[in-house]
Order: sequence, then structure tokens, then C-alpha cells
Amino acid sequence: MSRKQVILIAFLIVILAFLTFLPVVIKKDSTINLSILILLFITLASSWNILGGYAGQANLGHAAFFGLGTLATRLLWMSGRPLLPSLLAGGGVAVAFALLVGIPAFKLRGVYFAIGTLALAQILNVTVGNVLPVISALPAHYLAAYRLAPRYYLFLALAVLTTGTAYVLVNSRLGLGMMAVREEEAAAESLGISALQHKLLALGTSAFFAGLAGGAFAYYHVSYYYRFPFGPVWTFDSMMMAYIGGTGTIVGPIIGAVFYVIVKEVLALKLVEVHLTVFGVLFIIVVLFLPGGLVEAWEKMRTLAHRSRLKGFRKTF
Amino acid sequence: MKARLATGVVIALLISAVVASCAPKPAAPEAIEIGGSLPLTGKYGSLGEQMKPGYEYAVADINAAGGVYVKEFDKKIPLKLTLYDDESDPTKAVSKLETLYSEQKVVGYLGSAGSDMHAATAGIAEKNKVPYLGVAFALWQIHQQGYKYLFSPFWKSPDIGPGVYEFLNEMIPEGERPTKVAIFQETTDWGIELGGLWKENAPKYGYEVVVYEEYAPRTEDLSGMILKAKEAGAETLLAVPSPPDGIALVKQMSELGWAPKFTMLIRAPDGNTWGETLGTAGDYIALVPGWHHGVNFPGVDELNAKYQANFGRPADVLTGPAYACVQILANAIERAGALDREKIRDAVAATDMTTVIGPVTFRQDGTGVVLVPIIQWQNGAQELVWPTEHATAPFAYPAPPFDER
Repeated sequence: MSRKQVILIAFLIVILAFLTFLPVVIKKDSTINLSILILLFITLASSWNILGGYAGQANLGHAAFFGLGTLATRLLWMSGRPLLPSLLAGGGVAVAFALLVGIPAFKLRGVYFAIGTLALAQILNVTVGNVLPVISALPAHYLAAYRLAPRYYLFLALAVLTTGTAYVLVNSRLGLGMMAVREEEAAAESLGISALQHKLLALGTSAFFAGLAGGAFAYYHVSYYYRFPFGPVWTFDSMMMAYIGGTGTIVGPIIGAVFYVIVKEVLALKLVEVHLTVFGVLFIIVVLFLPGGLVEAWEKMRTLAHRSRLKGFRKTF
Repeated sequence: MKARLATGVVIALLISAVVASCAPKPAAPEAIEIGGSLPLTGKYGSLGEQMKPGYEYAVADINAAGGVYVKEFDKKIPLKLTLYDDESDPTKAVSKLETLYSEQKVVGYLGSAGSDMHAATAGIAEKNKVPYLGVAFALWQIHQQGYKYLFSPFWKSPDIGPGVYEFLNEMIPEGERPTKVAIFQETTDWGIELGGLWKENAPKYGYEVVVYEEYAPRTEDLSGMILKAKEAGAETLLAVPSPPDGIALVKQMSELGWAPKFTMLIRAPDGNTWGETLGTAGDYIALVPGWHHGVNFPGVDELNAKYQANFGRPADVLTGPAYACVQILANAIERAGALDREKIRDAVAATDMTTVIGPVTFRQDGTGVVLVPIIQWQNGAQELVWPTEHATAPFAYPAPPFDER
């Protein structure tokens, strides 16, 4: 194991230890709640990144998987089923839907695929709104036992699981196949890589974690309209986070989610009247100057630092 | 011996009472923290804009009088108001309420606007055990979750379900009443709730529902329902459309030449843009926005004057109810005599006071017993037509055909 890998593993252990003890050390509900939102969006952005970033399929229907996970879990959990099977059912429903629509949807390419997935999500959004127009509210006796800490640990586990799975997947033969499809589908096919199979694998994995995130949301959120998690904002927020951080990277969606949620929240608390304008300008700056996301900024800074070190080395000798 | 002992006990008790009364009172905080989230942007942005000045003016007025007297500290303490923008997003509203609880340590929450927003934030109030006052929602179902900390000095569906027929029977002589009713029910929880109550109450007051049609929000073509109602000879139309649906509905009614004698649209005509968008076609429509600047209650004239100075018009329909929320909370703090949330909650529940929206008490489920004024669009303006003692204009009935307006 190289020195770099040891440092990386040590760093990850420290971060995980910090996150594990966070609710014990910081007992403020506001901090735990904000951390929950960050972890939720890490899961959503990372799961979007598996299909959008690694397999190169611009999915604008991610909210459909998230919404289905929420719907299935909430209905099961509120009817008295245990949480874990309800969560898994949420993930399973999302995967089933993804595979059902995936085969016809992947006949579309590029922008048509994006529009197709957006349309599918919107159809689900409207249908759920019409079939279940009521608010799903946790009754008072549920709220009496409601604690944020178990929700936090659930979201933490999901974020770790999603990121870990993405890491293992993209470093596997299957992941390489997905990236080959992203770069040039025809060339990949000519090398014997089944584009459809790899895209379906990416879609299924992406949908599964989005569905689990939805299930965790159903366990976390006290009250919402059933159609709320199907709203396009969940897709666009996840996608923006992946782009802000850097698509096609493991750390990109994590950095993007942390940046997006914290900056937006701080601006909303400090600049009540103009926070959206300020955030919009910030977002434009990131997109214009860092098309590869914040990960690219980090790489650029490292390159600059390396060059300046080299210059210093040459001057010395 | 016994007498000496008794004297000693009395003296000891007196001394301890004097010592207790001389003991320093706990240090008073610099301010009483209250706050809430409001939809200043997003789909409910126009509602939040009306409510924000209501909250702010009420706090400013109370502070101008020295603040709220708190017996525990034997002094008046000013209110400190913190409002955040929730972007009309329940998840963000939840986050803001958690911040207000953890950081500002508020003793009372002021609510957002819209049923879904209130449903989410009322749950947080329940979790954190912080009394919550919310207006700008009429969905009764939220109050049926067993929440103890939710209070709403605002009308709810069961008020207007029978209320519309009571109003018509009071205002129109028998024989002239528009007894054939068409109900266009939006397929939303509120639409179902209110549509059902209108349908259920109609026969009790001598009305007959001749058409009951359902439609999904944002349906563009409403002509099928309109023609059915026209064909059935419906004289009253009752509906709960969103602003775009309400505008589309009236435009299509005008095009198809169906002008019922009486139309009540809840929600859609509440905004000031209704008259500008529809012109004379928007007249004669009755609405129940919850308040009107013309009501004769203490403080309304001052509120209108302040609003006029800042916005060039009398206070908007949600400004008064928002103002009343702060009045109720301040009154409850004073009666509680302490900044203990549980005591304040109990004091809010026992509220019996007159505010800018009139007398307010609360039922067991937190719904307010409040005045439900009925407004009507007349000559491009919202006129208060009921209760008649507050009316700014007489009730205009029956509505003439669209081409004669």
C-alpha cells in the first residue's frame, strides 16, 4: 500500500469517526437537520452521478426513483411494517420502475433521452398528485417518539453505502464498460461491450440508491404531499450538485452537495431577501469558470502548486 | 409553651416570606425571541409578501409600547422577530424552524402560508413543543392529527362549508335565492374536503347540487363542466381553484355565456391581480380570503395607515391575520407570565381577546373561532359585503350576464 493510500484511508477514518459522533457531540437539532440534508443530497447526487456522470446518460427523471422510494416506504411504514423492509421495498420499487422504462428509454439518445426521462418523471408526478392528493402527516403519537439522531445515522449509512458502491463499481470491469459507453458507444459496442446492459446496470444501481434515499426521506420528513418528492427540483438539485462538484468523479457529488446545501442555507439565513440572487450568481461563476466543477478547481490548484515548486527547485539548482 | 411554639412558627414563616420576596428575580432576557419561516419566493411568494409586513408591524407596535410584560421578570421585554424565506418548500421550512429552535431558542413560532407548508412546520412545532400560530391555510385535516401546539386564527373548511348557504339565506329573500348549485371540485385534498362539505350541507339549507364535477389542477379546458352546469340550469357556482385555474374558468364561462347568479371562488380571486387580469368579467365573484381591511376592529385603521404609507394601498387580506398572530402570541406570553413554552401554549389555548381580525378564541383542535368575512369583487376592487355591520359595499346580486357588465 502506497503512502498516499494510507493517508487517504486515515483521512476517511477520521471523517467517518467525526460523522459518527456528530449527534453525540453536537446536540443541536438545527445542525443535525442540516447534516441530514447534506447526507441526503450526497446520496442523491452520487446516485445520479452513476448514470449521468459515469455512464454518460443525462437523466432528468431522477426524482421519479426518489419519489417512488418515498411513496412505497411511507405507505408501508405508516401501515405498521418495520422500517428496514419498507426501505428495501422502496429501493426495489424504484429499480423495478427503472428497468421497466429503461429498455424503451435507452432507445433514445442524448437530449432525447434527457427529455424522455423528464417527461416520465412528470407523468408520475401528476399521476401521484391526482391519485393521492392528500398530505401524509405523521400523527402526534409518532411525533412524540420522533428523534433526529436515528434518521441521521440512516442517512449517513446510505451516503457511505452509495459512495462506496459507486467507488467499487467504477473501479470494476463493469464500471470501465460504463465509461467506455459514455465516451463512444459505437466504439464500445465494437469491442464487445453491450451498451444496453451497461446502461441498464447503471440505471438500476442509480435508481436503487435514489429509492433508498426516498425511503429514508419518508422516515425523516414529518409531513408532505405524496407528490412532493416527485417534483423536478429533486432531479435538478441533485444534478446541479454533481456538476458543481464534478461529474464522473467519486468526490465531486460529495463536495457539490456539501457546498450547495451549506452555502444555500447560510445565504438563506444571512441574506433573507436576496439569498436566491446571490446563490444564482455564485452558481453561474462556478459553471463559467470551473466547467469541471470544484474538483477541477482543486486539480488546477494542485497543478499550479506543483509548477511553482518545480520553478523553485530549478532556481535552487 | 404551645403558644410560644406557634408564635415562633409564625415568625419563621414571616421571615422566610420576606426573604423570598427580597430574593433577586431571575435576570430578564434582552428580548423575547419569536420567529418563523415565510414563503418570500416560490409558488406562495405572493402570500408571504402580504404576511411579512403583518408580522413586522405587530412586533414594532408592541415594542413601541415597551414590549410584553412578563410577570416572572416583573418588566416589559421587547419582542425580537426572526423571519426566514422557506422558498415555498416544506423541507426548507422545516430546516428554518429547527434553526429558530436551536439557535434563537424562540418561545413561539409564526407560520408560513399554504396547507403543505403548515402541515410540515406544525409537525416540527409539535416535536419541539413550541406553540405555533399559523394563518393562510383552510385545510381542516391538519388539525385532526392530534397536534397540541398548532393554533390557527383563520377560517377552516367546516366554517365555509355551511357558511356560504347561511350567507346566501341571510342576504337574499326566499324565492330569489340561487338554489341550484354547481360544485367544481379540484382533485386536491382541500378541494375534496370543501367540495364534500358544500355538497353535504346544501340540502340542509334548501339548496340542490345539480352538478358536481371533478377536475385536476391546471386543467386547461374546463368547458365540459361549464356546459354541464349551464345545461342543468345551475344558479350558483362554488369552487376552490388555484389562481391560473380560476382565471381560466371565468374566461371560459364568459366565452360560453354562462353567468350564474352567484359565484364563490375560494383562493383564486384573493390576489390583487384578479381584477387587472379579468377586468369586468372578474366582478361579482365572491371570495373568502380570511380578512378585509374594512373591518371595524381596534388597530385596523392604524394598520391600514402604515400599509398605505409603505405600499400605497390599505393592508392586504393576509396582513391582518398575520398581525393578529403576533397579538395573540404576545397576549399569551403576558398571561403566561413566563417564557416557558408549555405555559405559553396553555395561555394561547385559553385565548379570548379582540385583535385586528376581531374576537378570537380557539377550539380544542387548535382551530380558531374567528369572523369569516365575505368579500366580493365590484368594479375592480375587493369590497367587504358580509357581515353587514362591517360592509364597505352592499352585496351585488344577481350577477348580470358577462356582456352586460
